[in-house]
Amino acid sequence: MMDMSRTAASQADYVTTANRGFAVGGPILELEEISLRFGGVNALTKISFNVLEHEIRAIIGPNGAGKSSMLNVINGVYRPQEGTIKFKGKRLTGMTPPRAARMGIARTFQNIALFKGMSVLDNLMAGRYLHSKASFVEVALQLPRARREETENREAVEEIIEFLEIQHIRKTPVAKLPYGLQKRVELGRALAAEPKILLLDEPMAGMNIEEKQDMCRFILDVNDHYGTTVVLIEHDMGVVMDISDRVVVLDYGKKIGDGTPDEVRSNPDVINAYLGVAH
Amino acid sequence: MSAALPAADTFPKLLLHHARQRGSSPATREKSRGIWRTLTWRELADDVAAVAAALSARGLHRGARMAFIGDNRPRLHVTMCAAHALGAVVVPLFQDATAEELLTPLRDAGVTHVFAEDQEQVDKILALLPRCPAIVSIVHDKDRGMRHYQRPQLVGYAALLGEGRAVTKGALDFLEAEAARGSGTDEASIIFTPGATGPSKGVVLTHAALIDRARAAAEMDGLTDADLALVYLPPAWIGQSLFGYAQPLLVGYCICCPESTETMYSDIREIGPTYFLAPPSVLDAMLKRVSSRMEGAGGLKRLIYRQCMSLARYAGPRLLSGERVIIGSGLAYGLGGLLIYGPLRDVLGLSRVRVAYSAGDAISPEVLTFFRAIGVNLKQLYGTAETGFFVAMQRDGAVRPDTVGPAARGVELRLATDREIQVRSTGLFKKYLGDPEATARAVTGDGWFRTGDAGRLTDDGQLLVLDRIKNIGTLADGTTFAPQAIENLLKSSPYIRQAVAFGTGRGWVCALIDIDTAAVGSWANKQAISYTGHADLASRAEVYRLVGEAIGKVNAGLARDVATAAMQIRRFAILPKELDSDDGELTRMRTLRRDAVAERYRGLVDAIYQGASAGPVGLPALQIRIEDAKPHSPATMRSAA
Amino acid sequence: MSDFNFFLEVLIGGLLSGLMYSLVALGFVLIYKASGVFNFAQGAMVFLAVLSFVGFMELGLSFWAALPVTIAMMVLVGMATERFVLRPLVNQNENTLLMATIGLAFVIEGVAQLAWGVDVRRLDLGIRDEPMPWLADNFGIFVSELDITAGVVAAVMVAALAVLFSTTKAGRGLRAVADDPAAAMSIGIPLQQIWMLVWATAGVVALVAGMLWGARSGVQFALVLLALKAMPVLIIGGFTSVPGVIVAGLIVGATEKLAEVYIGPYFGGGIEGWAPYMLAVLFLLVRPEGLFGEKIIRRV
Repeated sequence: MMDMSRTAASQADYVTTANRGFAVGGPILELEEISLRFGGVNALTKISFNVLEHEIRAIIGPNGAGKSSMLNVINGVYRPQEGTIKFKGKRLTGMTPPRAARMGIARTFQNIALFKGMSVLDNLMAGRYLHSKASFVEVALQLPRARREETENREAVEEIIEFLEIQHIRKTPVAKLPYGLQKRVELGRALAAEPKILLLDEPMAGMNIEEKQDMCRFILDVNDHYGTTVVLIEHDMGVVMDISDRVVVLDYGKKIGDGTPDEVRSNPDVINAYLGVAH
Repeated sequence: MSAALPAADTFPKLLLHHARQRGSSPATREKSRGIWRTLTWRELADDVAAVAAALSARGLHRGARMAFIGDNRPRLHVTMCAAHALGAVVVPLFQDATAEELLTPLRDAGVTHVFAEDQEQVDKILALLPRCPAIVSIVHDKDRGMRHYQRPQLVGYAALLGEGRAVTKGALDFLEAEAARGSGTDEASIIFTPGATGPSKGVVLTHAALIDRARAAAEMDGLTDADLALVYLPPAWIGQSLFGYAQPLLVGYCICCPESTETMYSDIREIGPTYFLAPPSVLDAMLKRVSSRMEGAGGLKRLIYRQCMSLARYAGPRLLSGERVIIGSGLAYGLGGLLIYGPLRDVLGLSRVRVAYSAGDAISPEVLTFFRAIGVNLKQLYGTAETGFFVAMQRDGAVRPDTVGPAARGVELRLATDREIQVRSTGLFKKYLGDPEATARAVTGDGWFRTGDAGRLTDDGQLLVLDRIKNIGTLADGTTFAPQAIENLLKSSPYIRQAVAFGTGRGWVCALIDIDTAAVGSWANKQAISYTGHADLASRAEVYRLVGEAIGKVNAGLARDVATAAMQIRRFAILPKELDSDDGELTRMRTLRRDAVAERYRGLVDAIYQGASAGPVGLPALQIRIEDAKPHSPATMRSAA
Repeated sequence: MSDFNFFLEVLIGGLLSGLMYSLVALGFVLIYKASGVFNFAQGAMVFLAVLSFVGFMELGLSFWAALPVTIAMMVLVGMATERFVLRPLVNQNENTLLMATIGLAFVIEGVAQLAWGVDVRRLDLGIRDEPMPWLADNFGIFVSELDITAGVVAAVMVAALAVLFSTTKAGRGLRAVADDPAAAMSIGIPLQQIWMLVWATAGVVALVAGMLWGARSGVQFALVLLALKAMPVLIIGGFTSVPGVIVAGLIVGATEKLAEVYIGPYFGGGIEGWAPYMLAVLFLLVRPEGLFGEKIIRRV
């Protein structure tokens, strides 16, 4: 009302990767020698890296480097022809997106995949799908379990609504929201599932600088507050370097760098790959 | 009913009174995570007792100063009551002030304890700590992002409440004992003036003064514990201290806190307040919201809306003021009530409003008339921090757009020879913080406070506020020039957010215009004018034409009266950047800081007066156009009328 | 009999048969919503369902034994259709899917007649096709008991499905899948299970619709043409809206009966057959997304 808008930038200064709620633990996700081909085209070639519990892990690379394919492999959309994926030390086979979701891997999409016909609240409630157990009969008759479950789900969703500061659009159909808010709602839907690993596909694409700062703050806060492991993709080196613990750099489907932001920044291969790419 | 108001002389005593009298009635409501959560008077008193005990253990003592930085929330409310219970003085500060802006008040007031709403506010205080070594304790309400803050001064609200409960064990005896030690002459609050003219000063007010003013207004409007208010204004504003703190504690009505600034419009509809206070900027925003929605509606709906609104402008205020109207229009107004006015009140969440006030700045007649036309009993009041806010108030059934009503109960008004409004009442401030000379300058030997505002008293005792004395000047030909009146006329246009008129010592009047980005932006969209941002929009020739038309209308109005005909705006320029409180151009209450704007745009104003022709001017770092406005000759206007 | 009573009689009769159109259309909507496929075979499924039901009874099963057996069979048919026809065609364009369902329609019709023969059968549900005495005695309105029963059953069925798809987990899943399948999968909704559920449900809906229509006009090959009757209902109601097809069914039912009685004589009768299509064409001109369908916005 009185336009007491908060400045996001000031907060990012204090929550850094150095002081956080959950200390970085052992590997939660290990990718070994992953190769993915479409027809004769090699999308990914023998890529190995791991993701540690509670860390923020970025995958960067120029457009067409295979970043999205990598994410789609982790979440079971694509099955790599070679290589193994281990989740908490256990080898995964026959992954599908719903299975990944059941194991605690949630994601967002580069081109926002929200349920356009539903309100923000319904989108987030849909994110609670795996936390609903009541059967048709229980729901139809409003038996205690169905009611309790509905309340619990609503409470969890309301916590996220508050966390992401989207109270004012709770009832708004998502199609009517501006782009930046849609991205935030999509993050909210992923969070509603209470994931262990959050995959973010270019969470800051197409945003202005303020929206990017807001998104950075939310990603850091999610990691800090819920301890969620974050794997995020960006083609722009800028913002991501500030919030990531470690960075994997892909180029033409190959890994060309892996390490802390500083290490990656000084890696000659990375510098070469990014030269000539406008930023 | 008003006779039932408690006689207690301090806020903690009032709180205890209500905890006994209406322990299970709601005292505060807060929408949090989608649900309205209630604190009863008894629960409020319990929490206050616990927080007071914990703060006492952390060294808050009688006469100490505690700062409050945050939105109105029950937890801020509780802590403020607790500070008062301990005899401490509360210093509410604007939550959107920068750390540097907070430094002077914190240091001058000798603040030792701080209530900071969230991480953002805590960060500001932490940054100031080296320069404010007196601060020993910082209470924060929201834990978000603060898990790893290790400073020993910090304590979360929940932890504080826990510490206190371990001491009080749900009993009120600690609170009662502390309350018994206080009296009405104790200092209660230090309110910093918005600083529209000159630097901000700390105004020290006693419990007695605040309660006196709260009581006078509550009795005049017949407030009861059944009333309901939405508190959404900054606690640092004197109006909020009375309306959101002193009055509910005196009368026992419930205050409701919206979920967030953005949800205010839907929250107000859910709550349906009966008592409402808003600065003109908020009312203006509400009106613009409605009118832009109606202008975007379909043809028939828009036609009905326009018809009803023109009728309402005639009949509505008269009916509310108890005047007679032509029978036909009375009936039509009744029909309009069903079709338009009722739904409009409902959309705005004002259906149940019994008493509403506009305060803090001059309201444009257009806005006041709109709300009264749709049947909202909106009245004007006048007052400052030094005078305890309720100085002049319009009475039910006697509302005029030009005056702010007669003196409130317990207030004497007089005009000095230079037309300055002077006030004497039992609700005056005690002193300016740490500035005896300023205090002495502000109060006459016989106890009248000099407001610094120029005004006039009408024959029936109504106060008419012209402008700040220092703003009033004369044009080169000796015509009196009061910029605020002209600026208010300009702000009636939905496209003009702020206006600054110049003319003192000049031959004619010019104005700097700050366009309403949202309204002009949507107009531009409809006209298929593409633009990249505010600066681009503000420089478009089409927008200049739009604003020129609005100014032309204002000029036509001014030309109708010989006395104001010379006040017509001859030239104007649209500012490339919105006036902003972060840049010091507006106060934190979003009122104009004229001197700052004049200083910043000195070169532009000079160019307006010097420039021989209209057109783009190249000022350092700015590309602004200057346009001629269309003046009207008084003679032609009269013959046309 | 007064004119008004006669009007009511026609109207009620129209609304009741309208509910039965709704039921048929509902089968289309479920599948279209979930997978974007216009299931041309829905009419064939109605035919297969009721023909099998009658067939099982002819084999000596009682009504209450034949019912669960037929339901089970239709669930299997639905699931099998999803598994063996639709799933292999995932990500193909709409035309391909439509062609597949047309082919499926011929297969189902053929198999049904191969298994149970081509004779027209009567289905006796034990409800008289005679005016309900209570209505006739008290209001002078003559509406068949069978029509009323059919209307009530259709209404209950529609209501149950509405509850199922608005409040339950599966319903939420269905709506999510309808909106964005990739996103739905990412939050753990098993796309294929939802599709199977929908096809199975469509099979059961087909059985109920078939029994009601079969009891009324005999169990015969003409039942496959019900799919055509559902077209105007779908156009008016919108392909994706459950409440839309209910209202549209009522509109179509009422329109065709009223048109037949009041306008028909000017055209020499037979108007019942094409009036609904005229209405649908009008809707296509005025409101192409249907009454409750999602607005089709094309950004330029």
